[in-house]
Amino acid sequence: MLLTSVIIVIREVLEAALLVSILLSLCFQLGIERSWFKWGLLGGIAGSIGLGSQLGYISNWFDGVGQEVIDAGLQIFIYICLLYICVQFINHFYKRHPLTNVLRATLIIIISCAMTREGSEIYIYLSAFQSLPETGVSLYSGSAIGLGIGFSCCALFYYWLLSFSPSRALLVSCALLTMVASGMMLQAGKMLIQADLLPDGQLWDSNSLLPEDGLTGQLLYALAGYEATPAPAQLIMYSLSAACMATVMLLRYNSWRKQKVAEEIS
Amino acid sequence: MSSLRRFLLVSVLSALMLVNFIAALHGYRSSMVEAENLFDQKLTAMAVQLSSVPLRTTNNAPAPDDENMVFQLFNQDGKLVWHSVHAPDQYIAANEGFSENNFNGYRWRTLSYFNFVNGHRIMIAERVDLRYQLAESVILQSIVPVVLVLPVAGLLIWLIIGHGLKSLAILAGILRRKAADDLSAVDVGHAPDELMPVIDSVNSLLRRLTASFDRERRFSADAAHELRTPISAIKMHLHNLRDEYGKDDESLLNLDRDVDRLAHLVEQMLLLHRTTPDHYPAKFEPISLAALTREIIADRYTDFVSKDQSIELFGDDGEVNGDRFALGILIQNLLNNAYKYTQQGGAIQVKIDTLKNAVRLMVIDNGPGISAEAQARVFERFYRVGGDRHSSGVSGCGLGLSIVEHIAELHNARISMANGEDNTGLVVSVEFPLATSTIELKRSITLTGYGERK
Repeated sequence: MLLTSVIIVIREVLEAALLVSILLSLCFQLGIERSWFKWGLLGGIAGSIGLGSQLGYISNWFDGVGQEVIDAGLQIFIYICLLYICVQFINHFYKRHPLTNVLRATLIIIISCAMTREGSEIYIYLSAFQSLPETGVSLYSGSAIGLGIGFSCCALFYYWLLSFSPSRALLVSCALLTMVASGMMLQAGKMLIQADLLPDGQLWDSNSLLPEDGLTGQLLYALAGYEATPAPAQLIMYSLSAACMATVMLLRYNSWRKQKVAEEIS
Repeated sequence: MSSLRRFLLVSVLSALMLVNFIAALHGYRSSMVEAENLFDQKLTAMAVQLSSVPLRTTNNAPAPDDENMVFQLFNQDGKLVWHSVHAPDQYIAANEGFSENNFNGYRWRTLSYFNFVNGHRIMIAERVDLRYQLAESVILQSIVPVVLVLPVAGLLIWLIIGHGLKSLAILAGILRRKAADDLSAVDVGHAPDELMPVIDSVNSLLRRLTASFDRERRFSADAAHELRTPISAIKMHLHNLRDEYGKDDESLLNLDRDVDRLAHLVEQMLLLHRTTPDHYPAKFEPISLAALTREIIADRYTDFVSKDQSIELFGDDGEVNGDRFALGILIQNLLNNAYKYTQQGGAIQVKIDTLKNAVRLMVIDNGPGISAEAQARVFERFYRVGGDRHSSGVSGCGLGLSIVEHIAELHNARISMANGEDNTGLVVSVEFPLATSTIELKRSITLTGYGERK
């Protein structure tokens, strides 16, 4: 029970916390105020409890695949928001301006949605087992250990990102956000496969090389959506979303570069 | 990072937590494997004991048991001769040694053991979930403290970091509290080696600043002497020349005016330098603004009369805590400006009000006033409204209000300027804080060596 709790909690915490640490560090590097974080946190906690407690009802939507569809919808929505945020961060790097309400709202929504998705799963897991007296200590100890490892990794990751110069931090953070966002699309694909909205299959099985339930596997899952047995549809979604995000950011970056060169010449 | 202490706490605690928890998980897994081995050894020992029990061939009464462990004993012929109450009638396990099997609605860890001495086969099984629970409950006793102790570790790390950074906080406090004129060396006590280069650099900088200020003070005193002496000599020669060439000689009159202007400029420059708040050795004492103003008006009364100007002082006594010499200069300069720029026959008023938290000194005239743009610039050094072609035609050096600003800053006073009623004339207000505590009493160095101007 302890190990199961650790793995489940780490898996959920790492994903949301990595996203938070990347966004917080990049905002710090670009001089963007970070008051949005507390509202995102509150929204995430409320959303986790709300979604977790209503999941039984939600599951009955869409002919019994409500949970999968909602989960996939949340992931795709976060991906779109992250795409917008990355472009805004590049704009902000080249031309500093105060945090706009749209950008603040997008950041709050991203954090709230990411935490709601992950937090609701922890909420369901804990509420399902808390009534069993023999599992109490191991359940909560495992959850605390999972939470601790997840937060520790992200805190150290946050300070590591802060050690970069702003230009390098932008490059690294945008690359990381592309990986995280594409990983979310990979998971969205998994949910749509479970809902029979996409075809299933297995391209390979890399569990023997890198098990999904190990700490490295969990870290890669959180960072890049690592799946040991991906379906073709998932891989297509992952590749397309990563390519789309990278292209949009490169176009925006090149546009600013050209503008800067033109300004220098004039 | 915004806080060094927070960074150290979070990063150290995160590293500690990560390493401890991973170690605890590793320990947990190893301990679970070890516990499994112990349970297996216990099963083996029990199997050996039970297989050696002498039994009748048949009809042995079922052995009482709990639901956690069952056994079967078969004789040489493979016939079940003894078993526990909840044991099934068939072979639990097909193979020799340890295996896991399902029956009675649970998963069981089973040992099939053959006794070569009497030919008996014993099958003994233990519930896997109970073994797991028992092992986990024992191991958790060592895991839970690792989790529970973290807040304590966090608190200790917070306190230790705070203690480690104490010297830095002391240094910051000393530098923050240091008065602008206090250039003594910084002493943090037993500072750590890492902080010593910073303290040495700060002290070296303070030493250089002290030397620089000393040089500047010496220059000021020397300049005052070196400039005043030749000017006095020129004035004396000018006086002799007037006796020789006549008092109405135009060139001599112009020269006299220019020498006066030069003398005034030198005095004002020295005064501006002296009243710089950073190194003015002020001596604060309770002073009545009304009495001081009255004295200054009395000294300058003949000037006002010479221009047919009326001068009026009214309002409260206006007691403030201030430096008498500096405040005298402030009032004198304000009145001098009003006198100079107010037309013949004009009216000048000095009003003193005691407000809720301040004493306000106002010098009001009905002269030409100055534009809003000029009001923003009159405190700049050498700035004169309209330059040397000011409509009043009076001479000046553009330092009077800069000196006033220095003195106001020295007294934490707020200075403002506005047009008079009906947009005519000028009102200059200086608001001095009432409470004595707001004044920097630490500046109470004696005026020795500086207060010779009278």
